[in-house]
Amino acid sequence: MGKELRGYKIGVMLQKGVIYLFLLLFAMGFLLPFFFLLTGSFKTSSELFSVPFRWFPKHITLENYEQVFTKIPFFRYLRNTVIIVVLNMVGALISNSLVAYGFSRLRWPGRDKIFMIVIATMILPYQVTLIPLYLMYTKAGLIGTFVPLTLPGFFGNAFFIFLMRQFLVGIPKELTESARIDGAGEFTIFLKLMMPISKPVLATVAIMSFMNSWKDFLGPLVFLGSDRLYTLSLAASMLRSNLNPNWELLLALGVVMVLPVLILFFVLQKYFIQGITMSGIKG
Amino acid sequence: MMKKQITRRLSVLTAGLMVAASLAACGQEAAAPAPAADNGSASGEAQQATTVSVETTESNTSKKTVAMGDRQIEVEVTDIGLSGSFSYWSAFTGDSATWEQERVDAFNEAYKDLGITCEVQYVPDGAGINNGKLLSAIAGGTAPDLLITDNPTSAYQYVAEGSFMALDDVLKQIELDVDSFYDGCKDVMYYNNQCYLIPQDTNVIMLYFRPDIAKECGLDVNNPPKTLDELDAWADAMTVADGSNYSRMGLIPWLDSGNDAFVVPFFFGADPYIQSENKIDLTSENMVNYMKWIQSYASKYDPEKINAFSSGLGGMFSPDHPFMTGKVGMTITGNWFTGALKAYAPDVEYTAVPVPVPDYGRANSSTFGCNVFAIPNGTDPDKAALAALYVKFCEQGTVNDDNFCQWRSIPVIDAAFDDVTLTKEGDAMYAMEREIAGSPLNGIPALCSVSAELSTQFQTLRENLIYNTSLDPETELKTLEEQMQAAMDSK
Amino acid sequence: MTGLKEKLFGEYIHSTQRKKEALHGLLFVLPWIIGFLVFTLYPIISSFYYSLCNYNVIGKPTFIGFNNYVNLFKDKTFIKACQNTVYMIGIGVPVTTFTAVLVSLLLNNKKLRGTDWMRVVFFIPTLVPTVVACLLWIWVMQPDSGIVNTVLGYLHIPGPGWLSSPTWAKPAFILMMIWTCGNAIIIYLAGLQDVPESLYDAAAIDGAGFWKQSLHISVPLIRPTILYNVTTLIIGVFQWFAEPYIMTEGGPSNATMFYSLYLYQNAFSFFKMGYASAQAWIMLLVAMVIILVLFKVFKFNETEIG
Repeated sequence: MGKELRGYKIGVMLQKGVIYLFLLLFAMGFLLPFFFLLTGSFKTSSELFSVPFRWFPKHITLENYEQVFTKIPFFRYLRNTVIIVVLNMVGALISNSLVAYGFSRLRWPGRDKIFMIVIATMILPYQVTLIPLYLMYTKAGLIGTFVPLTLPGFFGNAFFIFLMRQFLVGIPKELTESARIDGAGEFTIFLKLMMPISKPVLATVAIMSFMNSWKDFLGPLVFLGSDRLYTLSLAASMLRSNLNPNWELLLALGVVMVLPVLILFFVLQKYFIQGITMSGIKG
Repeated sequence: MMKKQITRRLSVLTAGLMVAASLAACGQEAAAPAPAADNGSASGEAQQATTVSVETTESNTSKKTVAMGDRQIEVEVTDIGLSGSFSYWSAFTGDSATWEQERVDAFNEAYKDLGITCEVQYVPDGAGINNGKLLSAIAGGTAPDLLITDNPTSAYQYVAEGSFMALDDVLKQIELDVDSFYDGCKDVMYYNNQCYLIPQDTNVIMLYFRPDIAKECGLDVNNPPKTLDELDAWADAMTVADGSNYSRMGLIPWLDSGNDAFVVPFFFGADPYIQSENKIDLTSENMVNYMKWIQSYASKYDPEKINAFSSGLGGMFSPDHPFMTGKVGMTITGNWFTGALKAYAPDVEYTAVPVPVPDYGRANSSTFGCNVFAIPNGTDPDKAALAALYVKFCEQGTVNDDNFCQWRSIPVIDAAFDDVTLTKEGDAMYAMEREIAGSPLNGIPALCSVSAELSTQFQTLRENLIYNTSLDPETELKTLEEQMQAAMDSK
Repeated sequence: MTGLKEKLFGEYIHSTQRKKEALHGLLFVLPWIIGFLVFTLYPIISSFYYSLCNYNVIGKPTFIGFNNYVNLFKDKTFIKACQNTVYMIGIGVPVTTFTAVLVSLLLNNKKLRGTDWMRVVFFIPTLVPTVVACLLWIWVMQPDSGIVNTVLGYLHIPGPGWLSSPTWAKPAFILMMIWTCGNAIIIYLAGLQDVPESLYDAAAIDGAGFWKQSLHISVPLIRPTILYNVTTLIIGVFQWFAEPYIMTEGGPSNATMFYSLYLYQNAFSFFKMGYASAQAWIMLLVAMVIILVLFKVFKFNETEIG
């Protein structure tokens, strides 16, 4: 018996070791491109292209970073990006929580059928709606402003509505019933009762909306008319001109663009994972 | 002036598409009949043109010295009695934007007294011509007054779709004579005998080879290949097998063909589009021969293995281009490659010669690859005139000189060569480029109302034939020809 | 009309309190309704109209009936784009899902300590801006100096030309798909948290090891989560655009010409907005079928309140 147990324990340890090693290898694979991004951004152009590949730069240069801040109006692009991102985040938090509340905590005829339409819009290819939308914004005189990139954010996003609805559905009914009996208005219940509980899912929505507009490339490209309004994603594609791809600069810009998102993620990480865990997304 | 523009815009805005379309129609009706610009027959005339267009010494033209970058250049200023500003989309982003900005600043300085300003925007992907930005803007009536793009094939399709303005009147107004431009360039300039696109400069295609590799393989560097057979022989001699792999290839015929669908077929004498009959012709003997030639390389060398040679990065603008690393001995590409070599592989020895052709091909000639200016339809006529002034400004040798020196692109008028520093310095390669540019055979192939799609589909077809050498080129070409002809007829 | 009203409102109509609740509900949902009408329904209807037209965006659309739809199925590039998309759905999605589930199961192993940081590692690739991610992968997949082929070289495996090879371009995209599966991993982990610990304990007493436990307990219980992730992945593949657009432009030999990329090309490069709209509508219908499956899986009606 004792012998068997010891064998079992060794087996478990061995298994743990194997699993850990396996995960470690996987994680390294995932990190490999980042490793390249980071080291590459400190390399000179000639080192970047050296064959065979060099894991670490022989001569660390900060010139690429220097150029990111001097060669392009980095801070202007950053400001533009931040404006768009923040407006989208605010819009997403307000509109989606309201809408999700309407779809989950209140009963009204046709609700679930309409919710199906919400879900269906998730699959819309934006290429189709691009031209009609563009013509619409043109008629309204909004091309060349941030409006086309920020206004839709205030009217709900199918995925976020879905996410929040699933979360709100899971909150016990009794909680709101008692408040309702106490005579609290619907909006008060929403604001004072539901929103504080919804912090995790709100964080999830915040991060995801941040990511979406931070990453967006086609929207700014089509809707922003002027260099004064360009975003960082556009800047990246502009740096890569036909006659000189500026690779080492792009890598440095890449690092600079990834960092803020990483920081935000680390700050909100706990809530974020909690938000996804607690929302019904998992089925 | 400004007010007029705004009201005009508003009318476009409110009625959207329909107004834009009708404006387009008006523009065409109002335009005067085109000056003689028959592409085919005028071939001899261009050679005689000796005066540079901007030298029309009317009383309203004056000379002025302005700063362009850190140089002082002398430019001409034309007073057409108008003032105001115009918007301009430039395809030159990244490093090229520096040069464009200098050019715009110089223009604004030169035209400061006349109250004319150019407002430039840098728009990636050939001034948005490839990514939907320009199309959306034209449809929505928010297009710029002027644009320049590095994609003449797409630009030509925009012309065919009726989205650019015919420029004959405007050119007369600002006194820019485009008759003396190279005939080859006129392929892209004219559509239905009206002028729509103005090339800023042009490129020529050459064969680049590495003399060091040639010598090593016992080839006579002073007697480079002139015919296709000689080219094949050189390619064979330079190829080094390394077990089942190759450590060096003599020539990969499609290596730098990238986005230029019809460049090498042109050297084979193929004419993919016959304008007089409005017919797409991909099944001519010359075209089939070209494809067979490509396939002969593909079946000799495993294209999957050759893949490892090509760089997925900046095309030729990275130091790992196989020509620079010595993995290929020869490549067929444009004059800009010299600029790339200078920047990324300054130590590599190279020689450029006219592209060798089969005996039925177009010897000592080249296709013209142009950056073209265009004015979108619906632009206010006054704005269009101001925008055209910028075009005229940019045609000057002094303004283009930097561009020519760096990339070895060439002027679109033979006489303008004389003003270029490279000519003055007696640069041999530039002299050869000038010689090639003077060939009456030159042209820009396959420009038609479906040129963008034709070019994309053709490249795919070529790749299919490369990777499936069992496919019969004739059948494949026939299928594509029928498909594209149908697409064109349905326009 | 009255009958329909009765049917729609049923019991609600008699209760004023419920009327009030319904009114509140509509008020809360109002932003979405406005947004839907303006930013979705209107463009969708226009695009359906365009799909029945010969429309080059600049001129006026001319009605041609269902010609665009008919022509699509004769278009070799369209068929190729469909094949490529099916390839990604048939191979890329299962491979990615398998990897994500496997990693999640391993990470979920409660006895394993010190894996928290790994969750973050697997998630951060999804935070990289698209343009940057694409440029990064062009580099990573370089035949000569690329990091992937360098590592393969250490193992004495000759690396292929990846993005420039018709055979290996799609696998390269699958690798990139796996790299960005962090979202799915987080969701799987969330699903796994709900599996009662007691089930594992019971299985352990029966002598079931980690793999058996995973296969017989975990996987069946997170089936809805898997289906959810698979569905979103499939939709993602349908909409896949920026990556092939930036990295390969559909080449080589149309090996990476995916559905949305061809749609985009038709609309904005070839002036065939009508044709592109027809493509979009076919995609919409196919995706609708997928959504219906999703609904069956989620059984929304069972999760209602009240």
